[in-house]
Amino acid sequence: MENYVKITGSKSGIILKLDSEADWEELKKQVAEKFRSTSDFWGNAQKAIAFKGRDLSEEQQEEILGIIRENCSLDIVCVLDDDPERENAFANAVKENTGQEKKSGTSQETVDNLLQTDNGTGFFFKGNLRSGQVLDVETSIIILGDVNAGAKVVSKGNVIILGSLKGNVFAGSAGNVDAFVIALDMKPVQIRIADTIARSPDEKKIGRSKKTRETKIAFWENGNIYIEPLDKDVMNDIRLT
Amino acid sequence: MGEVIVITSGKGGVGKTTTTANVGTGLAMMGKKVVLIDTDIGLRNLDVIMGLENRIVYNLVDVVENNCRIKQALIKDKRYPNLYLLPSAQTKDKTAVTPEQMKKLADELKEEFDYILMDCPAGIEQGFKNAIAGADRALVVTTPEVSAVRDADRIIGLLEANEIAQTHLIVNRLRVDMVKSGDMMSSDDVVEILAVDLIGVVPDDEHIVISANNGEPLVGSDCMAGQAYMNICKRIVGEQVDFIDFEAKKGLFQKLASILKK
Repeated sequence: MENYVKITGSKSGIILKLDSEADWEELKKQVAEKFRSTSDFWGNAQKAIAFKGRDLSEEQQEEILGIIRENCSLDIVCVLDDDPERENAFANAVKENTGQEKKSGTSQETVDNLLQTDNGTGFFFKGNLRSGQVLDVETSIIILGDVNAGAKVVSKGNVIILGSLKGNVFAGSAGNVDAFVIALDMKPVQIRIADTIARSPDEKKIGRSKKTRETKIAFWENGNIYIEPLDKDVMNDIRLT
Repeated sequence: MGEVIVITSGKGGVGKTTTTANVGTGLAMMGKKVVLIDTDIGLRNLDVIMGLENRIVYNLVDVVENNCRIKQALIKDKRYPNLYLLPSAQTKDKTAVTPEQMKKLADELKEEFDYILMDCPAGIEQGFKNAIAGADRALVVTTPEVSAVRDADRIIGLLEANEIAQTHLIVNRLRVDMVKSGDMMSSDDVVEILAVDLIGVVPDDEHIVISANNGEPLVGSDCMAGQAYMNICKRIVGEQVDFIDFEAKKGLFQKLASILKK
């Protein structure tokens, strides 16, 4: 039997080479077989995927992704386009975002770059996080609501809370010490940035505190976490990596 | 070899966690090496009452699942260096641990500590089974209300069925004025119904609320509840202490007030 399907991959992405002439049904069978047999190798890793060698319609792409999901526990985060023009657009966007000089030529590098810029990208969450709830995200996160005591936010990037922070936050969970936490009302139990943990001071908390709410930022510097009012000087020192 | 004591009640809100915090702190004040374990997975409170919430990094479930060593999860108290807390997880539920795992944990901690206090969740389901798994003795907390006493009775039956050797009773939140006027059961009435040995009576005291909010147990302090808890600690280690006559402790002003009420 001829081999119509070829998988090449690196630490963050997979390139699936599909024969342009082969019968579609036969191709699908081979994709299923390939991923089933390599299921142990992939584990439940998160990968981006790019298709090569054959033009696929959206339905066909969906079909392939469905087959992958069925046959192994890989988590396909996104599909990259193999169209050279669009790829260049991606590469340029990445370059602009990260200020990288290096020109991203191949699709493999594009995959890597896209995953690295997770800190700079982010999404919104609307609602209050209550005790026992955990919000764990790969990107930066903006929360429109409060984070109550006993709740936890974990992010590989930055955490911005447009409300009160009274619970736990873990920013830069993949080890990024440039990650920061901003809250309109900063009264956390614990803040962790990369591997450094800071806890709130032991003070009596009866009744409503008379302190006015003030927007503050928590950031990492030389192994310590500092919490300061968010003024212009502090804002200038923020590094988006 | 240490002793594992489970603090339980059946009914919620009668003061298990407050009792655990105060008895644990009291035993530590007496120089014993004590560890408090919060077994209420998903609704943890003991860390808040102890004022140690901001120090939590690892918890009971992490220990049981071998995500960390026991030593890493134990939080040293801010006042007494021989008092430790093993906090519960807030994001899991009671099924995250099994009675077998709790027994193994208790047996390990027995090697190093004099007293291991298990703060039991309300109810008689898995959380209760986890908490009593490794226990050598039990303190049953109840208030002098029919519903709490009914639940305590059920709990005592379950403890007997699980062959917990010693069961003692704590009557919590007793209001002397109401007992006197015949509106509340006395501690003697409760003991008569439940037929277990009384180890302490704690009066209803507003200082308890203040101490819980401050995260500082009040055992040993001048107030009546503080003294009552200290006496419980002394009885746990085997000392003979007379029960306090709360009536005699009333101040002049209160006496006047009670006379005027009549």
